[in-house]
Amino acid sequence: MPVRVVENWSAASEVSGQDGSSEHGLPPPFTLLSPGKAFAGTQNVSSLQKDEAWRVNVQIQGCDLEHGYLCGTMEALNVPLADTPVMTFWEGEIVDTKNYTFYTGKWEATPEDDVRHWSRFPSFSPLQSQVEIDGGKSLDLSNYPHLFMRWKEQYFVNVGTDCGLTIAGFYYVCFSCSDGSINGFYYDPNSSPFQRLELKSTNEGRSGFSFSSYELQ
Amino acid sequence: MPATKTNNRPEELTERLSSAASGGGGGDGGLLKALREVKNQIIGNRTKKLWYLKLGAVPTIVSILSSAADSDSAVIVQAAAALGSFACGVDAGVRAVLDGGAMPILVRLLSNCDEKVVDACARSLRMVFQSKLAPKYDILEEKNMHFLLSLLNNENDNVTELAASIITHSCETTAEQEALCDNGVLQRLIALLEGSTNQRDAGLDSLAAIMKSNSDVVSKLVTFNNGRALNSIIELVKDRCPRTRLLACICLIFIGNACTDHLKEFDINTELILVLVELFEEPGRAGDEAPYALANLIAGKEDLHKQAFSVNAVEKLCNFLHKKAIEAKRLQGILLALAELCSKLEICRTKSLSLKVLDIVIGALKHDCTEVRIAACTCLRSISRSLKSLSAGHLLNETAATSLIQLLHNQSTEVQVAALGAVCNVVVDFTTRKSVFLRHGGAKELVQLSRSMDSKLRLNAVRALRNLLFLADKIVKENILQELTISTLASLVCDAEASIQEQAMALIRNLVDGSVDCIDHIFAEDGVIITAVARQLWGATVPVCIQGMYVLSNVAAGNDFHKDAVMHHILLPHDTGSDSSILLRFLQNNDGRLRTAAIWCVINLTYPCNCTASERVTRLRTSGVVSQIKSMVNDPCLDVKHRVRTALEQCTVGGINSA
Repeated sequence: MPVRVVENWSAASEVSGQDGSSEHGLPPPFTLLSPGKAFAGTQNVSSLQKDEAWRVNVQIQGCDLEHGYLCGTMEALNVPLADTPVMTFWEGEIVDTKNYTFYTGKWEATPEDDVRHWSRFPSFSPLQSQVEIDGGKSLDLSNYPHLFMRWKEQYFVNVGTDCGLTIAGFYYVCFSCSDGSINGFYYDPNSSPFQRLELKSTNEGRSGFSFSSYELQ
Repeated sequence: MPATKTNNRPEELTERLSSAASGGGGGDGGLLKALREVKNQIIGNRTKKLWYLKLGAVPTIVSILSSAADSDSAVIVQAAAALGSFACGVDAGVRAVLDGGAMPILVRLLSNCDEKVVDACARSLRMVFQSKLAPKYDILEEKNMHFLLSLLNNENDNVTELAASIITHSCETTAEQEALCDNGVLQRLIALLEGSTNQRDAGLDSLAAIMKSNSDVVSKLVTFNNGRALNSIIELVKDRCPRTRLLACICLIFIGNACTDHLKEFDINTELILVLVELFEEPGRAGDEAPYALANLIAGKEDLHKQAFSVNAVEKLCNFLHKKAIEAKRLQGILLALAELCSKLEICRTKSLSLKVLDIVIGALKHDCTEVRIAACTCLRSISRSLKSLSAGHLLNETAATSLIQLLHNQSTEVQVAALGAVCNVVVDFTTRKSVFLRHGGAKELVQLSRSMDSKLRLNAVRALRNLLFLADKIVKENILQELTISTLASLVCDAEASIQEQAMALIRNLVDGSVDCIDHIFAEDGVIITAVARQLWGATVPVCIQGMYVLSNVAAGNDFHKDAVMHHILLPHDTGSDSSILLRFLQNNDGRLRTAAIWCVINLTYPCNCTASERVTRLRTSGVVSQIKSMVNDPCLDVKHRVRTALEQCTVGGINSA
């Protein structure tokens, strides 16, 4: 979701954790993260000046677990500067410790920034000490009840780049396999720190969960 | 001002040849002069070749060759050379030489005592055998094999090269490869690698034909003479002659494809990629065939795709596409190599799109040459695996839609299948561009092909329709269903091919996704579709059942009527008297994906939104479903395990309510 540029931020807490096994396995497929699935919620964009939250819709469009890849769109509904909802396309890196570790290694995120953000998720706590050693490379997350990801917006789908919004940052994301909820923190050195993204799987007016699918050739 | 001599015009020269052939004036001196003049005029001149062909020069020259005395070497040499030239690079020329009956005469003259005659005839025959139109030489015939060996063992280089050309042209089957091997041809061809450039090239070309997809022959070559033959080929990858480098690369690709162990110690792939990418720049056969060889080398191997990308293979191929007037064969190769590179890696797709080749690839869908059109479809299919571009709606424009739709009713099944491959991907389009495809009659064509007798076409057409329906809006769904009809859809669910059943189920799954109204389609015409889906689940393969279960699960996410209908179908015992319901069977299945689909169906049936949920919970409990789910709380499939908890929570709430 695009955000407005604000002041820098600094410092956060550290949490202790424990080791994981050294086996490498890919995470299993989760139907709630399959293409076509939709999520709705908010992103808190509050600053020192005022409290503010934008409504956000997310749709998963592709998932390639072998390459640790996920993608989709994110739509911000009540953006003050925009006349219409602003939609962006994002690509996700799944922290499977094979394709990607907890260390971002780009997008201006240092390992300290990474740990500071990941540790905001309670489910990260058991992993933290090992992540601080090797970025989590030796952890086996294939049976872990949470899926950690980074979502990076790539382009605006329905507005031009001159819309006064930025997608320079990225999200640290945690998906709960049990209830299908998604939590995230937006990171951009030039934006408000720890903007929280909270999403829940939606049923789009149906009395249950519906799943569509496509198959690329 | 200089002017063309009137007596050297093709019409007059052909006339002089005819007159000489029929025993008319001019004498041998005049005939020789005329033959030489014709030969000189047509060498490297396609227009002149076609002109003389039109004038009927070839049958006349064949007749001269046939009636020349064996001692008349000069005439034979010129006639044979002229015929060879006609057969070089022009299909009509090859046809004329073959139809004129030149082959047996040229073959007979190979035993002429004059070396020059043998040279000329061998060269001429080589030209013919370099064409696809040449007849296949039956290697398995004993006398033919003897003759071939006699040519191969001949001391005349042109004759051994002819033998190699015949092998390259005619050796296709495993039996032929083995027969040649058993008769010592492999050793003889390896010996050619020590000869002149022509000898080496002919040897490499034939070795490739003998080794292609034959691991036994490859093993023989690799172990031959303590691996010296293999080393020679590896050395030839660095040869200064581009064609030799290409052929050596092709041989090594075949060796590597037969068994990767053979080349393990040499770590040769990086070098092959580099050499082949460099060869793109070469004119002629080396440059034409290098993209095909690269595509073959890297086929399906992501690590090699990365290596090729890192030496700018994508960039070079794209740059070529921007050049004007590329010959069909080269264009086809470039498109296929680019298709292979873009088949797995997004960086390759992004690079290709940033170099603005999409419009060129789409343009090639209308190329005169069928093979180029197929290659363009393959390339578009690979590029359109880019979700990033699909999401941006970059891939399905008016031109792409109309060109692809046009190819869908092409006469060639191969073209249709290739076009369907591209259509399958571009219609996934997440924007509103599905309507572009529909507006140009795309759905109609796909529906037509889904009724084809050819199962390949049917499969790909149904898959394309399934993708077209993915996240489609209500109007798109209704338009497609109107074309497809309920009865066709029901019959596709019961298709003889399991892969088609699977796609048909997935299509229905997408049809009943989205708005609740869409679910009603499955109940149209007395519920013929839902009945077919439910019935099929009893005997179908696991992939079909997974899709079928999602159909029912999606329906179960509808209203009470929908849920009750699903309850009826999934709890019904089978006709054969089995007391286990299909739902229980699927919950107990070994495949985690099928258990996942089944548990979602239970979640939807027990979804806590209305009072009737508790009735369904009771029925699920009495039919043993709830106790089955209880036994799945530690399911090895993580997705199932978590969903089981949700289902149990809902069943507990429903149970309390119903109590």
